[in-house]
Amino acid sequence: MLYLIGLGLSDETDITVKGLSVVKSASRVYLEAYTSILLVDKTILEKYYGREVILADREMVESSSDEILAGVQEVDVAFLVVGDPFGATTHTDLVLRARELGIKISSIPNASIMSAIGAAGLQLYNFGQTVSMVFFTDNWKPASFHDRIRENRTIGLHTLVLLDIKVKEQSPENMMRGRNIFEPPRYMTVGQCARQMLEIEEMKTAEGEGKGGVYTEESLAIGAARVGGKTEKFVSGTLKELCDADEALGDPLHSLVLLGRRTHELESDYVREFAVDKENWDRIWKRYYDGEQ
Amino acid sequence: MVNFTIQEVRALMDKACNVRNMSVIAHVDHGKSTLTDSLLSKAGIISAAKAGDARATDTRADEQERGITIKSTAISLYGNLTDDDDIKDIDQKTDGRDFLINLIDSPGHVDFSSEVTAALRVTDGALVVVDTIEGVCVQTETVLRQALGERIKPVVIINKVDRALLELQVSKEDLYQSFSRTIESVNVVISTYFDKSLGDVQVYPYKGTVAFGSGLHGWAFTIRQFAQRYAKKFGVDRKKMMERLWGDNYFNPHTKKWTNKGTHEGKELERAFNQFILDPIFRIFAAVMNFKKDEVNTLLEKLSIKLSPDDKEKEGKQLLKVVMRTFLPAADALMEMMILHLPSPVTAQKYRAETLYEGPPDDEACIGIRDCDPKAPLMLYVSKMVPTSDKGRFYAFGRVFAGTVRSGLKVRIQGPNYTPGKKEDLFIKAIQRTVLMMGGKVDPIDDVPAGNILGLVGIDQFLLKSGTLTTSETAHNLKVMKFSVSPVVQRSVEVKNAQDLPKLVEGLKRLSKSDPCVLTFINESGEHVVAGAGELHLEICLKDLEEDHAGVPLRISDPVVAYRETVTAKSSITALSKSPNKHNRLYMIAEPLGEEVSNEIEAGKITPRDDFKARARVLADDHGWDVTDARKIWCFGPDTNGANLLVDQTKAVQYLSEIKDSCISGFQWATGSGPIAEEPMRSCRFNIMDVTLHADSIHRGTGQLMPTTRRVLYASALLAEPGLLEPIFLVEIQVPENAMGGVYGVLTRRRGHVFGEEQRPGTPLFTIKAYLPVMESFGFNADLRSHTGGQAFPQSVFDHWEILPGGSPIDATTKNGVIVQELRKRKGIKVEVPDVSNVNPLHVPLCNHILTFVLSTTTSYKRIVSFLIDFFKLRCTSVATRHVTSGSQISRPFHAMITNHGPVASLV
Repeated sequence: MLYLIGLGLSDETDITVKGLSVVKSASRVYLEAYTSILLVDKTILEKYYGREVILADREMVESSSDEILAGVQEVDVAFLVVGDPFGATTHTDLVLRARELGIKISSIPNASIMSAIGAAGLQLYNFGQTVSMVFFTDNWKPASFHDRIRENRTIGLHTLVLLDIKVKEQSPENMMRGRNIFEPPRYMTVGQCARQMLEIEEMKTAEGEGKGGVYTEESLAIGAARVGGKTEKFVSGTLKELCDADEALGDPLHSLVLLGRRTHELESDYVREFAVDKENWDRIWKRYYDGEQ
Repeated sequence: MVNFTIQEVRALMDKACNVRNMSVIAHVDHGKSTLTDSLLSKAGIISAAKAGDARATDTRADEQERGITIKSTAISLYGNLTDDDDIKDIDQKTDGRDFLINLIDSPGHVDFSSEVTAALRVTDGALVVVDTIEGVCVQTETVLRQALGERIKPVVIINKVDRALLELQVSKEDLYQSFSRTIESVNVVISTYFDKSLGDVQVYPYKGTVAFGSGLHGWAFTIRQFAQRYAKKFGVDRKKMMERLWGDNYFNPHTKKWTNKGTHEGKELERAFNQFILDPIFRIFAAVMNFKKDEVNTLLEKLSIKLSPDDKEKEGKQLLKVVMRTFLPAADALMEMMILHLPSPVTAQKYRAETLYEGPPDDEACIGIRDCDPKAPLMLYVSKMVPTSDKGRFYAFGRVFAGTVRSGLKVRIQGPNYTPGKKEDLFIKAIQRTVLMMGGKVDPIDDVPAGNILGLVGIDQFLLKSGTLTTSETAHNLKVMKFSVSPVVQRSVEVKNAQDLPKLVEGLKRLSKSDPCVLTFINESGEHVVAGAGELHLEICLKDLEEDHAGVPLRISDPVVAYRETVTAKSSITALSKSPNKHNRLYMIAEPLGEEVSNEIEAGKITPRDDFKARARVLADDHGWDVTDARKIWCFGPDTNGANLLVDQTKAVQYLSEIKDSCISGFQWATGSGPIAEEPMRSCRFNIMDVTLHADSIHRGTGQLMPTTRRVLYASALLAEPGLLEPIFLVEIQVPENAMGGVYGVLTRRRGHVFGEEQRPGTPLFTIKAYLPVMESFGFNADLRSHTGGQAFPQSVFDHWEILPGGSPIDATTKNGVIVQELRKRKGIKVEVPDVSNVNPLHVPLCNHILTFVLSTTTSYKRIVSFLIDFFKLRCTSVATRHVTSGSQISRPFHAMITNHGPVASLV
């Protein structure tokens, strides 16, 4: 049996009781470590679980899944995924391959950023499509997220923006040369995300034909850091203010929520506490959000 | 001799209309460098006595030793027209009597024709040197074609006339006929490459654009010079006289009248050219060579030639040289011809601007070039690098097309891959010094205005081989040079002592800079490879590398040939490849691009920088492309300009633009090293048929799509009957009739294919033209010499690519399969060519098998398709699924799969 086990968001103790019992009894335990990371080290996990954990990087999961699935027809294998196994990143492909091999599958859910973001004080009911923000390069600036945000905002929904992490990536040059040299890990911050969002908005506005105008520098948003952990931190403000909020937020992982206009007064009272500049928050709230529902 | 100082030169530079930039071009051994020397005597750089032996422009020791030019060399000359009539005859604007001539002597051996290209770029006129006896040869034609392509106006000198007189002892009329034939063959080439903007540039002796002479003896004349002498005597206009001195014009001594009939009362008349021009020359030759002192003296008096007492004592050839040189100094004739008939930069840049500049014709840079304006923003093209005495550093050699360049000026250094508005291949640096190139020497100069040629110090490390220097931020590049030769012969090098490796690496970098055409790279197995245009070129390059650039002992492998990989049919089925995360799929079909289109791309006629609509028009009108396809060419490759195309044929795929860059990178990667043996690909067209993408951009980044693109390109190529292309030389062999058998024997043994055989009229020499695979050309020259008793002189130049005969290269049992395996072994990669099923789940034989099976059980193609979908666990795009379920049309990938297989095709 292949068990896909969610690990939750912050540390080793977030695993469910059911999950832990499977981990303890499974013959092999893999930790998927490239779509997201836990806030603690692998050794701490191993100590807590009382057994060895095999790190599965992108290369292993995508290109040599046979290794993971070897002999799973007979024995139990646990595949640990940070957050929820079918949360932000789907591992459907692994499941499909397992199915082809006639392997039974069981998944054990856990908290995901998709649900935990509720701690920011916005009702989960009113979130629209989730989008990801990738690291832009000089000539690669995918702007499709902008269309998704527009769709969300048209009907007043919030948008959860997940931020890119590059844990073990090859540069294109090293990939071509076939060298297994990996870039140092990089994690996107809320500040960088806000700046990239504004860059694309500016670009789209310049294109004309009503392509811009989805959000502005004054649109309200919440920056979230290490959600679900002990040092969880929220900072709210305009996108412009969030561009410089990295220091207040601290270490990775970060996420960002762009507010829709379907808001409740209670939500404002809650989120206001995180504001960089409370007076500015109130002013903008009154002008653009209050009573828009 | 003229006194010649830097100050004088600098003053002349300001008068751009009195500047002439010209190259001396010709077939090997037709006497360019020797002729150039006789010009130098006039400008006072080397003494008149030495002219003819010094070869001042052959600055390298090996050039002097081998007696051939290897590198092009520039020299500035000072010219002066004393006669008012001469000034009047110049049909362009001039200012004063003083002229500056920037002359570039270029190599004649085909292996170095990239040097010629670099020389032509910076000049406006060309002195084409043709051997009287050998006539127009393959390289004469090549360089002439290159010159006309750059819109360079030619004048011609027929050289080595002394040989015709002394060795062949021809008659006057025979000599005239031989001249006439040679000029005609030059004009045939010129008219073939007629360019409207340049106008008619055919050469005519009676217009003064052809000179005759001997570089070795230092004499030459034009008809204009003789016309001047005789105009007074006959009391006719000089121009009329010029016309009478060529062609079917006769002076009838009985009637004292000019006529165009060759007979008078049944008696033959002597042609005016023979009577008035050749006769005195023949008489001098006869008198001197037969040691008739008295006759010589009378002749000297008659022609008012004054000799110094020393010279009078000379005899035989020495005397002949002195007499002829005093009678008809080569420098006078050539200077006059160049100043009168070659365009000044002001004239030339008017029509050259549009071919020189990549940007729009109405921006400040292009207008500056067109007007040759020294006050416009700087536009300077660096065409090559010249090694300095300081090891490892180079002068950047180039021409100022607009503006003025001076020491300390901050310029934008734009390499060949620079695109306006981007920062790639761009440096902003100050020029350390500007210098004037004088043969082997350089002279510092403060500044240089538009229209002149110069050397620059301090920018060599920012340019690989060539590039544009400008002060305008909006300026596009000056057009990148296209070379007529390609580096098809390779040898790998390694150091004898391991600790020398860093020196070799550094040396290779320097070598690559110092030669416009040489290519250096590291292959998969870590070998350093040097590629050149031919055996000789490579030999010179490696010698430079060992003795100069690296300065360490080297071990050099046997020469090997660079192949190209191609496809010979359309992919038998659509190739599919999934990204590592399996969420992105690419569907691809490969097909041959066609020889015509490939050649046009390689000749620079179809380029990635063209306006896409204009390019689509050309592809549609001339090459039968579908216009919509032609407009959706994503890129050229390898190196973004090669002869392979990636064409987007998808319909309504959202966010395709987000993956375009990743696909292009994968395409450059794949076309740079193909599936068969990791040789570059050529002449393939890849069509992206369909694309499935993950909904979120984070899962469709470069890491996911670049390797996927490469895999799908490989798969589609392997499904399209791949083939290897081998380079073919065009060889031209000059050989006397009795040794022809040997030539044929050698050619046949080496898979050569003769397609032309011609006798040079008036000589026992034959010219044989043949195609010879480069692979078979190693040691060809030596082989030919030994089988013809050293009487055959071959010239080989890369001509085209041809499919290597000998079966499929992906079948290890064929001859080509073995070649491929050896290639792969040498490169240190897995010996087996990747199997299609390795990269593609749609395995061909398997598909065939299944289709036959399905056919026997069902007749509905809808069911076949759904069966296949099930079988291969394929998830189609929504479009495809809709088509399949509605049954109206089968999705493209499956349609192709079905129509390409016989039994099913009849069903559909």
